[in-house]
Amino acid sequence: MVRRLGSSLRTLVRRRRFEDDMSEELRFHIEQYAADLVRSGVAPQEAARRARIEFGSVDTVKDGCREARGLWLFDEIARDVRYAVRLLWRAPGFAVAALATLAICLGANLTVFAVVDSILLRPLPFPAAERLVGVFNSYPKAGVPDDGCSVTNYYERRGKIAAFTALAAYRDGTAIVGETGATEREQVTQVSPDFFTTLGRGPVLGRAFTDQEMTAHASPVVILTDAFWRQRFSGDSHVVGRTIRIDGSPATVVGVLPADFRFLSSQARLYVPLTSRPEERTPLRRHSGSSMHMIARLRPGATLAAAQAAVDAHNAAMEADDPEAKVIADAGFHSIVVPLHADHVAAVRPTLLLVQAGALFLLLIGAVNLVNLLLIRASGRAKEAAVRQALGASRRRVVSEAMVETTVLTLAGGLLGLVVGAAGVRLLAVLGTDRLPLGAHVVFDLRLALAGLAGAIGLGLAIGGPVAWYNLRAHTARALQSESRGGTAGRAAQRLRHGFIVAQIALAFMLLSGTGLLGLSLKKAMAISPGFRPENVLSGRLYLPGMGGVARLAFIDRLMDEVGHQPGVLAAGVVTEVPLGGNNIKSAVSVKGHRLQPGESAHGHYTYGVGGDYFSALGFKLREGRFLTAADTRHAERVCVVDEDFARRYFPHGGALGQRLFPGLQEVPGVEAFTIVGVVAAVKQAGLTDEGAQGAVFFPYSGRFDDNLFVVLHTSRPPESLAATLRNAVRKVDPELPVSDLRSMESRIADSLVARRSPALLAGLFSGIALLLTALGTYGVLSYSVAQRRREIGLRMALGARPEQVRDQFVALSLRLLANGTVLGVFGAWLTGQAMQAVLFHVPAFHLATVVGTAGILGVVSLFACLLPSQRAARISPMVVLSEG
Amino acid sequence: MGKTADLLPGTLDMLILKAVSLKPLHGYGVLLRIGQISGNALEIPQGSLYPALYRLEHQGLIAAEWGQSENNRRAKYYSLTEAGQLRLREETADWNRLAAAIAAALSAVPEEV
Repeated sequence: MVRRLGSSLRTLVRRRRFEDDMSEELRFHIEQYAADLVRSGVAPQEAARRARIEFGSVDTVKDGCREARGLWLFDEIARDVRYAVRLLWRAPGFAVAALATLAICLGANLTVFAVVDSILLRPLPFPAAERLVGVFNSYPKAGVPDDGCSVTNYYERRGKIAAFTALAAYRDGTAIVGETGATEREQVTQVSPDFFTTLGRGPVLGRAFTDQEMTAHASPVVILTDAFWRQRFSGDSHVVGRTIRIDGSPATVVGVLPADFRFLSSQARLYVPLTSRPEERTPLRRHSGSSMHMIARLRPGATLAAAQAAVDAHNAAMEADDPEAKVIADAGFHSIVVPLHADHVAAVRPTLLLVQAGALFLLLIGAVNLVNLLLIRASGRAKEAAVRQALGASRRRVVSEAMVETTVLTLAGGLLGLVVGAAGVRLLAVLGTDRLPLGAHVVFDLRLALAGLAGAIGLGLAIGGPVAWYNLRAHTARALQSESRGGTAGRAAQRLRHGFIVAQIALAFMLLSGTGLLGLSLKKAMAISPGFRPENVLSGRLYLPGMGGVARLAFIDRLMDEVGHQPGVLAAGVVTEVPLGGNNIKSAVSVKGHRLQPGESAHGHYTYGVGGDYFSALGFKLREGRFLTAADTRHAERVCVVDEDFARRYFPHGGALGQRLFPGLQEVPGVEAFTIVGVVAAVKQAGLTDEGAQGAVFFPYSGRFDDNLFVVLHTSRPPESLAATLRNAVRKVDPELPVSDLRSMESRIADSLVARRSPALLAGLFSGIALLLTALGTYGVLSYSVAQRRREIGLRMALGARPEQVRDQFVALSLRLLANGTVLGVFGAWLTGQAMQAVLFHVPAFHLATVVGTAGILGVVSLFACLLPSQRAARISPMVVLSEG
Repeated sequence: MGKTADLLPGTLDMLILKAVSLKPLHGYGVLLRIGQISGNALEIPQGSLYPALYRLEHQGLIAAEWGQSENNRRAKYYSLTEAGQLRLREETADWNRLAAAIAAALSAVPEEV
């Protein structure tokens, strides 16, 4: 069997050679026979003639030989393909319309699928990546559902949980890298020594980190990513042992990672040890997590549930001696084990699937259009199909011909779709896919192209079904007798076409109403006030590693002085993190004298350090008291400002001013409290649609600082025009300090909505195309109905029917189709809304105005599409039609 | 040419295998050889030879190779493969059994029934 298939394939590949050899062989035979005849005394010409006759038809013999080689199947398909191409060539209008529909619909699906595939489907690039899990601490009752893990957690858990073969911790950050005068800010990830063993991939050059390197006083070491190694060390293979300066101190290179090492969405170019001091590893610090994350590798055979149980048991054992056990338990503390990949992309999963569903709807609508067009074409050729079947074409032939024809079409459309898809992936990057988790590596590769072509072939076969069915039915004697266009139409075929139109209207209805819901959600989200004045605010990020408190304050003072006097700057301030900046961290704050009620838990609040005129620069609204001023920072006053949400939580009856609070879970003896001197209006911290009313506390920068710092300028001109001014001012104060992420606050807000805007935009695009396709589909089918019934209409008009009656008859038909489609569509819209619940914002799943609006738009478009053919029907002249034949 | 017989279905393959088992032959040679070994008693339609040759080659029972003919022309020579030899032996045995059975049946006389 295998050998025969091989023989067929060999012949197929060297087809030309096979044909030439065969011709030569047969010619040799005939000539040889003729020569023998001549030798026996026949005249040469007569001999040649007799040889040819006795041999028989060379073509028949050749066919026999080809068949013997199993070539008939290939030949038949090739013949059908040629036939299909010829047919398409003869109907360029149809071909262009069909190919454009396919290219757009398949391209749209491929584009979205490229993203879905890269983000949701492809496993992470690690061996047995499905066994990688994340472990994080959760304090749901404190409003902190995900708090990463602490250094203590790491040291207490590693090696102690049997369900894991390895466990590691990491923290993302940045560092100033390079020699004085040529420094750059780089993304750096701090990792524990077992980080690479947990992932299953580590340095290809050199080694991973050791436990000794985890102590704060160890001499710094670094592992380079391939990109960094190539760029900074030109791929030097003796790089291990060389040093680079990180945050001012020289670090020794101990390893280089492989070129395709990618950890989740990390942009890190360097990996350094996650160092800690012994006091950070004590039980006292067990719950001071924040910004550290834990990953682990499941033991083969261990389930997620088993791992969860093991972590729970371990936590329980640890809590036994926890001094804060009560507070922690009240906060609902537990640790959660999640699949690493799924958890990383969980937030974008519903949106991505929704957009993919939208694209599939578009494809369905396009496919329905195509089937209807093909059915109309097929009915134009019904007679031909009937004749061929009468002459003995088998059912198999009829079916395979239809399938080949539609597949040729969809495959060609699929190839065009690849082009559209490749371009679409670029477009999506503009719309923000590169900022999605794992979205920076969306690729349009062979795997995707193959998926696209497989999809195109599948679509071709699916579309070929109804066409083949129609052609098979065409073999009845009636089709032979009837004229190809005219007489009684195939009732069933007509019902099928009309059914498809109804389906198309319903699908378009669902797509449109879904888009409406997305648009409405976006509109509601955009209407939310961020709580500050986003206009005319420029913000930029600085990074001040290893600077002492005094130096830091002096730096800020000089910078505020420098930048505050630039023309165009109305107010300048600094803050540890701007609202909607994406890294807004919550931490515990305790209010002096506030007793937790039974069942109430300590709460996490957004905490910030601010300096300069931060509040006026960002346009905060003052409710009570005063803002913090530069003097508060300069003199390290123990004062703070809280927002309304915070004030309402702890002082529901007012009187927040003058109250005192401590950073941390409880009052620390001997530490002076911060006095509340002002209450400001609440500001959206994590996102515009964030509704947590989490509360925020603003300390003077001297009281709470961070290596990261944002400079915020209120400008009298377009904020971007002051970017150079800010850069220059920073450079004047510290020539080594780069400013990054320089943007207006408005663009930050716009960015924070990208997860809502981009899907809505895409859905809008899909809906527009769907509407166009539906209009074309209705128009095409109705036009055909009119053309097909010309004789009947002519006859009726000759017998006295008025043109309006004829027109109304067709309008009524389309109204009926529209009504059926709408009824189905409304039901579908309800289902769509239910399915979309997760991504909607303040919009009910069934939104009446949206449904009515959708019905209106679809109604107008479909009626418009049916009016033209109906008018044409009304203008049919009985004299002309009846004299036609 | 003497009296000729039509081929029984399926016997052409066997004759071809037999013909090329003696020595490699080109298509026309196969025809002549069958004529020769059957004492010109079997008439083979010339054209039907080639599909049979291609089928046998496809089945791996014979192998083809281009070579020089006796009058120095390029010709395709067929020879028997190992699988072909096996098949020829089987078919010969089968045929002999069948032929003997039929001959016995046909030579029966009334008294023996």
